[in-house]
Amino acid sequence: MESLLLGLGLSVLSAKVLNAIIIGVIILLVFVTIGGILTWVERRVSGFIQSRLGPNRVGPQGVLQWVADGVKLIFKEDLIPDGSDRILFRIAPYFCLIGVFCTLVVMPWGTGVIVADLNVGLFYFISITSLVVIGVLMAGWSSNNKWSLLGGMRAAAQIVSYEIPVGMGLLVPILIAGTLSMQGIVGAQGWLPWDWMLFKSPFTVISFIIFFIGSLAEANRIPFDLPEAESELVSGYCTEYSGFRYAVFFLSEWANLFVMGGLTTVVYLGGGNLPGIVADNAILSVVVFGIKTSVVVFVVMWIRWTLPRFRIDQLMKLSWKYLLPGAFLAFFGQAIYMLLTWEYQKVQYAVAVVVFVLFLGVLLKFIKRVAVNIKEQKLPVNSPNAPLA
Amino acid sequence: MGGYFQNIKDGFQSVFEGMSVTLASMFVRPVTVQYPEVDISTNETISRNYKSTLMGMPPNYRGILNVDLNLCTACGLCQKACPIECIVIDNVKCDKTGLTDKDGVAVKNRFTQKEALKTRASTRFDINMGKCMFCGLCVIACPTTAIKHTNKFEFNQSSLEELVLRFVSDEERSKAEARANEIDEEAARKKAEKAKKEEKAKEGEVE
Amino acid sequence: MSAALKTEFLTINMGPQHPSTHGVIRFIIKTDGEIIHECDPDVGYLHRGIEKIAETVSWQGFVPYTDRIDYVCSMNANLSYCMAVEKLMGLEIPERAEYIRVIVCELNRISSHAIAIGAANMDMGAFTPFVHLLREREHINDLLEMICGARLTYNYICIGGVNYDLPVGFRAKTEEFLNHFEVVVEQIHRLISYNRIFIKRFANVASVSPEMAMSYNLVGPNLRGSGVNFDVRKAEPYSVYPELDFDIPLGDGCEGTLGDCYDRYMVRAKEIKESIKIIRQCLEKIPEGEIKAVVKSVIKPPKGHVYFRTETPRGDTGYFIYSDGQSSPYRLKIRTGSFTGMSIIPEIAKGVFIADLVAIIGSLDIVAPELDR
Repeated sequence: MESLLLGLGLSVLSAKVLNAIIIGVIILLVFVTIGGILTWVERRVSGFIQSRLGPNRVGPQGVLQWVADGVKLIFKEDLIPDGSDRILFRIAPYFCLIGVFCTLVVMPWGTGVIVADLNVGLFYFISITSLVVIGVLMAGWSSNNKWSLLGGMRAAAQIVSYEIPVGMGLLVPILIAGTLSMQGIVGAQGWLPWDWMLFKSPFTVISFIIFFIGSLAEANRIPFDLPEAESELVSGYCTEYSGFRYAVFFLSEWANLFVMGGLTTVVYLGGGNLPGIVADNAILSVVVFGIKTSVVVFVVMWIRWTLPRFRIDQLMKLSWKYLLPGAFLAFFGQAIYMLLTWEYQKVQYAVAVVVFVLFLGVLLKFIKRVAVNIKEQKLPVNSPNAPLA
Repeated sequence: MGGYFQNIKDGFQSVFEGMSVTLASMFVRPVTVQYPEVDISTNETISRNYKSTLMGMPPNYRGILNVDLNLCTACGLCQKACPIECIVIDNVKCDKTGLTDKDGVAVKNRFTQKEALKTRASTRFDINMGKCMFCGLCVIACPTTAIKHTNKFEFNQSSLEELVLRFVSDEERSKAEARANEIDEEAARKKAEKAKKEEKAKEGEVE
Repeated sequence: MSAALKTEFLTINMGPQHPSTHGVIRFIIKTDGEIIHECDPDVGYLHRGIEKIAETVSWQGFVPYTDRIDYVCSMNANLSYCMAVEKLMGLEIPERAEYIRVIVCELNRISSHAIAIGAANMDMGAFTPFVHLLREREHINDLLEMICGARLTYNYICIGGVNYDLPVGFRAKTEEFLNHFEVVVEQIHRLISYNRIFIKRFANVASVSPEMAMSYNLVGPNLRGSGVNFDVRKAEPYSVYPELDFDIPLGDGCEGTLGDCYDRYMVRAKEIKESIKIIRQCLEKIPEGEIKAVVKSVIKPPKGHVYFRTETPRGDTGYFIYSDGQSSPYRLKIRTGSFTGMSIIPEIAKGVFIADLVAIIGSLDIVAPELDR
């Protein structure tokens, strides 16, 4: 892009600035579309889990529902509650937005498809997403509403204490790959499942689970959605927001989901890697990345509609007493394992295959259970052939 | 120490179980009835579309009330039974007639099993559907099943007055009142004739 | 200088409009951060004066109003009132009517407990079990609609018997439904009731000892969750319950302490199984016959008063009726289980989290219209 602009005869500085603005706008559009489409997906998925249809009227199968919601929110009255801190109230949503939006810059959408391949990419990723907690706390405090304050305080405690398992969970892939850059971590994996970071050893499985649970808490999803617990605090920290500001919170929450899914794919599931013959095909790489991220996002939504939520003290206990020791165990275990098998690459390969086969076994057991459950739910009721007694 | 690991194991097991149940319910047909497009007033369409796990409206659904004035004896039992007093009946005298339903069969009183005779004609039969609570006490009280529930439930009108169902039209009312006046006059005339006859008979006796 | 920091309690209003209180109830909570120091309930937002209305309508005309006292289990409320008036009048009910009454009351007990369990789950953040239970409850609504034409406020049980007879095909449909429901409700328990996170939310929270339960006059599953073996169907049997064989599930502190929220919740879950047993027995034993005793259209019970209680899903509901021979009651007083359930909340909500208060309200199964009448 920059070379194109330079070729048009602009000076170097203005070409750089224009380049940045255009890419920023493209990423913003991508961000908004992803956030919107994910709301529709969540509502349909939740509908099917609960034996009902989700929205299916606006547009074919309801895909334009988020556009209708966005238009409605823009037209709503912009209320600022009396007695609230006006400046903080106004800028709080934008902190959340920036925290999520800026991560899309280092997301490797495929092999070679990345906006800025920083060599501290992962570190930048984790630090930028911490801006979200500032936004949430500001929203909770400035709303002049006790329920929002409670929600904001809970959110602060939760997000800050779950940053540590997330960070520790990312240490193991960094150890294996030896670099912090996102493309480097993708490059250290292959396209076969047992070449993914997830199955490389039992310790990576533990660290994946810890990372996954931590990122659920970072994204404020059930079972960790205390800050916006619908049944208790009406809407938690964003109770007083209406109109466009609420739309900004809303969008950034859903896009955060995608971002977390993308991070999981890139770091643990070999995002975007393709078999040797089509290794350079950028579009296919983006498609593979998209599919893997969608699977992760679907699993996150599925967990949301299955589990109840934790109480605040149980949440803290989980983080500090269970996840943190587990993360340390995984890190040291992996380090010792790598030290012991430094010469023997074949042993590492064999261990990876064994872990993958065990995972397939668990998956098979799961599918059998699902089949039993489906048969139970389909027991007949009100069938027309029942004899008239 | 044992509790620590037991907690972890229990946690994973319950998440495993729970997720298998929710995934299973994704493969069961959704039970949303997209109402105005699907006809719910009988069982047919719904059973076909939903493999008959859902039922449509049964024939005895308690919907908006309807009065068949050909069967009504204007006895006022439904008015007495209604706890909210949303039925208002005014009645006047009429000729004693038997009642027949649409097949021509004579109608019987449900409680006494004798033939139902219409001795009063109603000049006003108003039911205020705004107040009605669809309890069905009037239907239970009626001896000739003149007042019945239909299976209609969509009844929004644009003003409160339109919510009142008036079953006796103006011409029927004037006809009934005119007939009642005629009956009264005839009765008065007969009484006068009878009185005259008696007087004549008395005079005849005295003479 | 070491002056202590001045702190004060935060007064929050869990107002009449709130997503998790079941109906319009209001709590004024004084908290120290997240821990409740004092909880003050404020009732009366749904008071409609039903007891006063009873003095102006006829005896049969009051039956639809009893539906609306507790619309989640309206057949049971109908039954309470009708049996009280029948006792006052000394009326004999045909046996078929008694069996039909028990069948519909137990069906309504199942649907009421399904809502209680589902609402408790929804307060904890698990929305799916609630929707699944509502889906199953629709089948019960369909069965009862087949009988009397209405889905929520039935007005089916009347003074003297029941209003309509069971339609053709009811028995087969009901048995098929019970076979389906037993299995599906067990699946829902596997989804949520045996879930470790849910158990951790409910167990060891606000345990009520048997002595405290009796001194606060709790009834129904709230009382049995604390281990006290008292059920009106066994203690003062009415209708055909003496001929039926069923158990009374009691709370036993299986996951936490005796009388905590999980015990009360599981007592309701087990009562669903007992109700299914009762309905199956009734469907086999039901005789042919009349469905309504001969009753005048304007009834005037003799002078006197009566107090009669039956076991509704929320405990024992009692009707005190005083009649002075007119065509309307002179005074009618209804005693409901939700009212006493509400009265124990200030006592057991001390020292718990706000999130636990939501769990307590859900486990006590407080329904606002029954609270305020």
